[in-house]
Amino acid sequence: MSVLIFLIPITLAIGLLALAAFLWTLKNKQYDDLEGASQRILFDDIDEKKNDERKKQK
Amino acid sequence: MKKQCLHCLLEVQNADDDFCCLGCKTAYKIINNLGFSSYYDLRQIDEKERKIRPKEDEEVDISEFVKIENNKKSITLMVQGLHCAACVWLIESILKKQKSVNLARVNLSQKTLTIIWEGEVAYGNHLAHLISQIGYKLLPFDVEILQKAEKKYDDKILRAMAVAGFGAGNIMLLSISLWFSDSLDMGPITHNLLQFFSCLIAIPVLLFSSRPFFSSAYRAIKAGYPNMDLPISLAIVLASAVSILQMLKNANHIYFDSVVMLIFFLLIGRYLDLKARKKAFEIASEFTLLSASFGRILLDEKIVTLPIKKIEKDMILLVAAGEKIAADGVVIEGESEVDNSMINGESLPQKLVKNSAVFAGTINITMPLKIRVSKAQDESLMAKILEFVQIALSKKNSYVRLADNLSKFYTPAIHILALLTFIFWFADGFEIALMNATAVLIITCPCALALAVPIVQTITISRFIKRGILIKSGEALEKISKIDIIIFDKTGSLTLGKPQLKAIKFLDGRELSAEQKNYYLQIAASLSARSRHIISRAISNSYMGNILLLDAKEERGFGLSAWFEGKELRLGKKDFCLIKNNFSAEILENNLLNCFLKIGDEELILLFEDKLKEDAFAVISALKKQNKKIILLSGDLENTTARIASNLKIDEFYFEKTPLEKAEFLQNLKVQNKKFIMVGDGINDAPSLALADVSISFSSASDIAQNIADIVICNEKLQPILQLKKDSQKSLQLMKQNLIIALIYNIVALPFAFLGHVTPLFAALAMSSSSLLVLFNSLRMSKSK
Repeated sequence: MSVLIFLIPITLAIGLLALAAFLWTLKNKQYDDLEGASQRILFDDIDEKKNDERKKQK
Repeated sequence: MKKQCLHCLLEVQNADDDFCCLGCKTAYKIINNLGFSSYYDLRQIDEKERKIRPKEDEEVDISEFVKIENNKKSITLMVQGLHCAACVWLIESILKKQKSVNLARVNLSQKTLTIIWEGEVAYGNHLAHLISQIGYKLLPFDVEILQKAEKKYDDKILRAMAVAGFGAGNIMLLSISLWFSDSLDMGPITHNLLQFFSCLIAIPVLLFSSRPFFSSAYRAIKAGYPNMDLPISLAIVLASAVSILQMLKNANHIYFDSVVMLIFFLLIGRYLDLKARKKAFEIASEFTLLSASFGRILLDEKIVTLPIKKIEKDMILLVAAGEKIAADGVVIEGESEVDNSMINGESLPQKLVKNSAVFAGTINITMPLKIRVSKAQDESLMAKILEFVQIALSKKNSYVRLADNLSKFYTPAIHILALLTFIFWFADGFEIALMNATAVLIITCPCALALAVPIVQTITISRFIKRGILIKSGEALEKISKIDIIIFDKTGSLTLGKPQLKAIKFLDGRELSAEQKNYYLQIAASLSARSRHIISRAISNSYMGNILLLDAKEERGFGLSAWFEGKELRLGKKDFCLIKNNFSAEILENNLLNCFLKIGDEELILLFEDKLKEDAFAVISALKKQNKKIILLSGDLENTTARIASNLKIDEFYFEKTPLEKAEFLQNLKVQNKKFIMVGDGINDAPSLALADVSISFSSASDIAQNIADIVICNEKLQPILQLKKDSQKSLQLMKQNLIIALIYNIVALPFAFLGHVTPLFAALAMSSSSLLVLFNSLRMSKSK
């Protein structure tokens, strides 16, 4: 049962880390534009595309 | 199946064309030239959504709103016409490719665009114009005022919710052991340890996350009336105190989990409620956009440019053709035409002669004018309208919501019951009495009650959004089903708001064959192609074929002329077209809107009308069948208003009302304690919309009307009004059901609490199951048709 004295505080500490991370994302305004963020990962960068095409041609 | 325009997907009339209009063609060209043709592959367009077609000629001056920091200029604009990620990509890519642009970022949720660049302030206009050419409407607004207040409160609730959620989850982990065994099974030390950790988590969480409730309850006490947050705050304090005591004594009943879970659910309800209540934008900055920023004043024989704030009474103001009039005044020299849509909602130009009154914000169309200013800026009609609107809006917030009504009797009832419990058990000892009283408070806690209304509102509002109806406040939903008087504006609300070509005729009475019609229309459209006059636009919109390339000369206010195949073409007023024919008045068919076309010797007349919306008659009849009273309030002339009223069979109608007169009429209704819905679209409806109990506007309306209105309909139909009534009734029903379910739960659980049988497990179960039940009941909203 003394295990509990270790385990519970450790669990809590990890949980607190997660909470701190969430609050940081809130402060960092990551929730301001949820729709845009979800779509943004699919964007192609035009310059990158051109570079890739040039590489293929070479 | 008709061919679709390559750019905007609307129908293309002529099978040879790839585009529906010149605007789309230009946009397509720009997009391709910049190398972004993959936009067309990537985008997803909602078929039912209203599409914005690019306007080739609109120029907005946004330089006033540019912020300067170090060397960088930045601006945030509202964007209309964003429909998917491809738009975001397109706008950002185009802007990033321009010189000196440091940042171009679109916020898809808020529909705003932020640009940061180096260089001239005026460069911003160029960038904005580029985007509006592709088909997105851009509007500046003052970020600070709009966002600050809202965001701070949003964030607070979200933070409290996150912390409460963390606390609830972790405490419940520990609580499960505590629920199902006691100190005999697990040993007193372990038992106490678990309790201790629960307490350790709970206290900071409670201190942080219950602040919104405490501050609200405190405000309520100060104001002298109880609200729902009072029993909640009491319960939190008492339950925590009792639980701490229990922990210190290693006794059996701690309620930390229930309390933290309670707070968590309540915060969720509050957050949903907040999201359902999108606040109106800063109205004042919109009005600023409307007025001219500067005026040219004749001072001591010299022309000086002054900001409008410095223009005073009796100054002489010079207004060029096409310029916005900077102040209210009287014409002392010049004859012209003015766009008075602000005053009467009509966009057809009105004549100005000596001694005519003019108003700040209207546009002088034809000839330069000299005006003697009659009122300083803060006394102009525009300023008066703004003031009126702001006052009316602030008074609106006194509506007492359904949930608050309930709390008026619920709250004292709970307190009395808790007190009774305490007294009842006092004989058995202070602690037991306190514990049981606390149990009563917890069990009767309005957890499900707080969720009952916001959940239904959120679901209903999102259903409506999918259909193109924007509901900005949950309260509007509650109010709509109870109102019996509906007041309509005419132009733009009952009618489409723009003149459309009705007929084209020979002046000498001959009939036109289909080919001839097409030929003459083509000529007319070719002449009107670049003109901004409202009749020119109507002609351009009615002809979808190829237009001829003409070197058309526009004489503002009179007409357009060109030479073609050796003949002179003239389109415009009768005198300008040198019409020789004497035609009978009958040919006009009672139409005020018309223009003449002369090709060589052929003389024709084109008739226009502002058509009623397709379903106007059907909707009005349906509303009358439901016993609603319909009133038509218009700023337009008597005979046009009377005609529309008789077409739609509306018995009560008023005409030639100025914006403030409209508001007066509505105020009379208010004094008689009557409630009404106002449907309007123009700036001249702004005061009326602000006064109405529920206000409805359209996405084609002026931005001010859209911002003031509680509900914005995003298509050209009136049918949504009927849908709104139906659905709001259903949602009101569901809200009431939810409240009843929540109440029943509390009442059933009450005897158990009173008699001291409420264990922490029982309390937690009761709370979560009542919330779940309310949630499932609300989902019935999304299942109904």
